Amino acid sequence: MHLRFSLRTKLALVTLVLLALPWVGARYVNEMERFLLEGQERVLVATARAVATALHDRPQLLAAVPERDDALRREAEEELRRLAERNGQLLEANAETALRALGREGALEARPAQREIAAILRGVQRTSSRIWVINRHYQVLALAGSLRRRVEPDGDRGALRGLWERAVGWLIQRPTEDFAESVPDDVLATGREISAALQGTPGTRMRRTPDARAVVMSAAYPIWSGDEVMGAVVAEETTNPILSLRSAALERLLVLTLAVFVGVAAVLIAYATRLSQRIRSLRDEAESAIDARGRLTHLAAGSGARDEIGDLSRSFSAMLAKLAQHHAYLEGMAGRLSHELRTPLAVVRSSLENLKLAPTPQEARLYIGRAEEGLARLNRILQRMSEASRLEQSLLSAERERYSLDAVVRGCVEGYRLAYSGARFELSLPERHVDIDGSPDLAAQLLDKLIENAIDYARGAAPVRVVLTEADGQALLSVENKGPLLPQEMSGRLFDSMVSVRDESAGDTPHLGLGLYVARLIAEFHGASIEAQNLPAADGVALRVRFPLAWH
Amino acid sequence: MASRIAIVEDDPAIRANYSDALKKHGFEVSAYGARAEALAAMKTRLPDLAIIDIGLGSDVDGGFALCRELRALSASLPIIFLTARDSDFDVVSGLRLGADDYLTKDVSLPHLMARIAALFRRAELAGEASHSEEKIERGALSLDLKRFTVSWQGATVPLTLTEFWMVHALAKFPGHVKSREQLMSDANLVVDDATITSHVKRVRRKFAAADAAFDRIETAYGMGYRWKA
Repeated sequence: MHLRFSLRTKLALVTLVLLALPWVGARYVNEMERFLLEGQERVLVATARAVATALHDRPQLLAAVPERDDALRREAEEELRRLAERNGQLLEANAETALRALGREGALEARPAQREIAAILRGVQRTSSRIWVINRHYQVLALAGSLRRRVEPDGDRGALRGLWERAVGWLIQRPTEDFAESVPDDVLATGREISAALQGTPGTRMRRTPDARAVVMSAAYPIWSGDEVMGAVVAEETTNPILSLRSAALERLLVLTLAVFVGVAAVLIAYATRLSQRIRSLRDEAESAIDARGRLTHLAAGSGARDEIGDLSRSFSAMLAKLAQHHAYLEGMAGRLSHELRTPLAVVRSSLENLKLAPTPQEARLYIGRAEEGLARLNRILQRMSEASRLEQSLLSAERERYSLDAVVRGCVEGYRLAYSGARFELSLPERHVDIDGSPDLAAQLLDKLIENAIDYARGAAPVRVVLTEADGQALLSVENKGPLLPQEMSGRLFDSMVSVRDESAGDTPHLGLGLYVARLIAEFHGASIEAQNLPAADGVALRVRFPLAWH
Repeated sequence: MASRIAIVEDDPAIRANYSDALKKHGFEVSAYGARAEALAAMKTRLPDLAIIDIGLGSDVDGGFALCRELRALSASLPIIFLTARDSDFDVVSGLRLGADDYLTKDVSLPHLMARIAALFRRAELAGEASHSEEKIERGALSLDLKRFTVSWQGATVPLTLTEFWMVHALAKFPGHVKSREQLMSDANLVVDDATITSHVKRVRRKFAAADAAFDRIETAYGMGYRWKA
């Protein structure tokens, strides 16, 4: 099966090129995201640097190495302190000693230091960012802020909007604020940015939260004390603000490209429909330009348009006009030829007749006789040739009257029985009169031609059947003969001028293919259609004329 | 004194042939090749009968014009069109211009002679009293075979010779069907069926002009025509 693409389908396929638009848009959004992330990174580094600047050269804040600071130890410290209070101030020193014994003197020193760092951090903390300070032992000295942004309650959104968001949700990932915020130990241990900072170079890193729901960007900056790195400031933020910007951008992009796509596709398809409709109507007209009767018509579709289709239509029309000219020339050829030949024939005839009047030897008379025989035959040919053109002329002035077709057919067939003694006729007429408008003389001439044709082609002893029936407001006159079938390729041209399907010439009756052409002209005069068909049994041919009935 | 016949024909061979044939039949013939020349000659001396071709060289309808001019010169001059043109339009135009007959060049010389003789006879007898024995009466129809005139209900019907012969052939045996071939031979006419049909139509119309209810010429489809008694 051969696949057929219409213009519309093709243009619809071409529209798919528009789908490159969202791809380009997404590329652009990604680029933008990268820039934003770089900006965020710089901001984070700057924040870390600012905090670190505040902590430079204050080794006492970071020097203290806090011990592990778990609940058991704190309880033990409290216990020692209570004991010291109970034993009075004297025991103060002892308690200190005892604490030292617990190895917590550092802790005692560290605590106020931590409070100071926390105070500094509070000064620079922002929403949605977290800053912590660690010492060289990867111990977190202070921490401020939270990674989570405050989420505005969505409020009551329409069902449609919800549906839309669900539909878009699987296409464009939205950032969530629901993620695990805690800082796992391995982040501290393996953090590249932290180890880089503790070695004296600021570093940045992106990592996923433990539950992999968000990406955290962190920047670490070393804290110097003289030439020595005492610790590092780590500033962290999620990429969520940028991600939500990105998803919003993507969403808008999606909506826009969808709208553009739909719009452009609609316009293109409408255009293609219009175009293909024009081409189709041109095609239909071109196909029917040569009608069933072989007459050429003028193309109307798009003939005024100033585009290629208009050009096509005009060149079609020009071509058809040339063809029609040629056609008319051929149709008039027979008439003109017979007219032109008539004068030289008259010369020959009158010369021969003069010759007969003169005293001529017997031998000459023989040849004069033969010449006259040939002349008579030539004359018959000429008469047939001019018959069509003369008929065309007389049709122009022929008068129409109402008459009974059945009476004409009956009379004609009786006449044929006399005229064609060798042939048999079978006549079938309807019981009622079949009245039509036209000229009875012409109808008789039409029947003459059909019968002539049928007799010429009839083979065997079967009679020529002449059937007149009335049905559906039409009078159907059918002349059937048994004999050779119609050649397939001639079926449409049988009623054209000078078309004959005969292959052998039959005696001295000339066959110029004008008989059925005359029949067609008369049928047209009656507003009737004429056609030739093989009989259903494939043993002969039926010529059928459908006359419209006269108005009652 | 021999009758004078003028032939106006542009083809020299046909002109010479017809001239010779007419001369052999004892007519005095003057032949012309062009309309101006013919008209000038005929104005000085009118012939007894004129045979005219319609197309005269480059003058396509010269014969028609000449016929009109001759008719203006003389109302009684017998004029025959002898032409290659055989369309109904030309036949009707020619006869309307006052020609007495219209023949195509298919006509044989004997037929042409018969027509010429008949026209001369009609012209000769035009003024004489009619002889009853040369008449055929069929009800309201009256045919005068000497003058080639027809009258219907007493009114003269202006028929050409061809038409006269056809009516004669039909009315001679009322009720008998005359085939087209029979009508053709009776009218000394060598034309085809379609022309017979148009002749019959014209005859009917001429009778209808005299009597609107005329319906005597009946068509027997496929066979011919008959005169209804």
